[in-house]
Amino acid sequence: MNAIECEHLTRLFGRFPAVNDLNLTVPTGSIFALLGANGAGKTTTLKLILNLLHPTSGDVRVLGCGSTKMGKEAFLRIGYVAEDQVLHDWMTLDQMLDYYRPFYPRWDRDLERRLRTMFDLPPNRSLKKLSRGMRMKGAFLSILPFRPELLVLDEPFSGLDPQVRDEFIEGLLEIGDTDRPSTVVVSSHDITEVERLADWVGILAEGRLVTAEPMPALQGRFRRIEVVGPGAGTRIPREPGPAWRQVEAAAPNVVHFVHDRFAGEPTEREIQAAFPGTSVKASPMTLREIFLAHIRRAPPTGAH
Amino acid sequence: MYQYAWYTVLPFNVTFLPGEPVYEQVIYAVKKAILSGNLEPNARFPSVRSLSQELKISPNTAHKVVMALTVEGFLAVNPGIGTLVARPPAGSAGDRTALLNGDVERLVFEARQLGLGEDQVLAAVRRHWRKISFPS
Repeated sequence: MNAIECEHLTRLFGRFPAVNDLNLTVPTGSIFALLGANGAGKTTTLKLILNLLHPTSGDVRVLGCGSTKMGKEAFLRIGYVAEDQVLHDWMTLDQMLDYYRPFYPRWDRDLERRLRTMFDLPPNRSLKKLSRGMRMKGAFLSILPFRPELLVLDEPFSGLDPQVRDEFIEGLLEIGDTDRPSTVVVSSHDITEVERLADWVGILAEGRLVTAEPMPALQGRFRRIEVVGPGAGTRIPREPGPAWRQVEAAAPNVVHFVHDRFAGEPTEREIQAAFPGTSVKASPMTLREIFLAHIRRAPPTGAH
Repeated sequence: MYQYAWYTVLPFNVTFLPGEPVYEQVIYAVKKAILSGNLEPNARFPSVRSLSQELKISPNTAHKVVMALTVEGFLAVNPGIGTLVARPPAGSAGDRTALLNGDVERLVFEARQLGLGEDQVLAAVRRHWRKISFPS
């Protein structure tokens, strides 16, 4: 089962394709990190998913329902926090929660109380007088207690201090339970923040999906390769392998590159064969490094 | 570059290194705790939910960790009681060695990069071995 399915999703602003023939699937129960540079189409994609924008062409299905047909019922199952979430600023936190609670039959007072203790927010000060971090906590507090089946977070961590980020992550890990897993889609610049949390990763570049796959699969196939020769003269072969990226001679006896289809010893033997008499070291790469390797090499494909 | 994170609530320590699959790192940490005797047979093992929350990893990943350790015989799921630490599977000397493979590989590679010979590396290992006393 998939929580979200986008098919050939395209959205033009004028002639500019902000999202371009996107095929994206988010499995139910996953924590899906949507990564991309500024202007890659993350926010537009999330807004199309939530029916806050209409697609120019293509389809989105969310929790089994066509996105353009989503109504009140669907939104009772979805939680959304935008990057600059607008709150009812004249209200206090208590007033805001009193206001939201009746909309959601599944609102969990117990979870609300636990989150309030954890987030430690002043209950009786108007929201506009709170700091940015506190306001984001307020926004979180208004969507987590109804245990949404789908949680969409657009840059939730930006500009927040590490302790608040930790509390956010703890909060969102609270909402799922075994018989009804929650799906979380989180777009983020803070790649290290989502590296541990997410189990799926999608990378967008120029409105297109460059890749979408389980985190361990992505981490498994990317390696930084270091070839060290016994003396000067370790040369880059005339025809580098098809899975080699960013090949560079780091020193007269050292060649570095990124391998994007690494499969353990067979791959190491292949590389060894291309550089006879050298020692080859393959090191895992951080999600941040993998992300940069993806967006540096341009030709993105619509398929995945 | 390395992010150290120690968890006192859980009965084992995980040092998360970026770049390596999270579930492999957790599995490694649990095996190390069991094989070294820090986690004793029949000790209660945290639920998927508390693993996920304490380590800030997705519930899917936490579930995978428990499944893999159960299949390998390190944990036993007892209906009604919860997940308990099992007696380490037989042949654990090999497992214990396997736990060091990554570290040994790193050491060997770096030694070769520095142009050290096998004897020099072994001598250095012996020197440090004697320096550290360890309850057996």
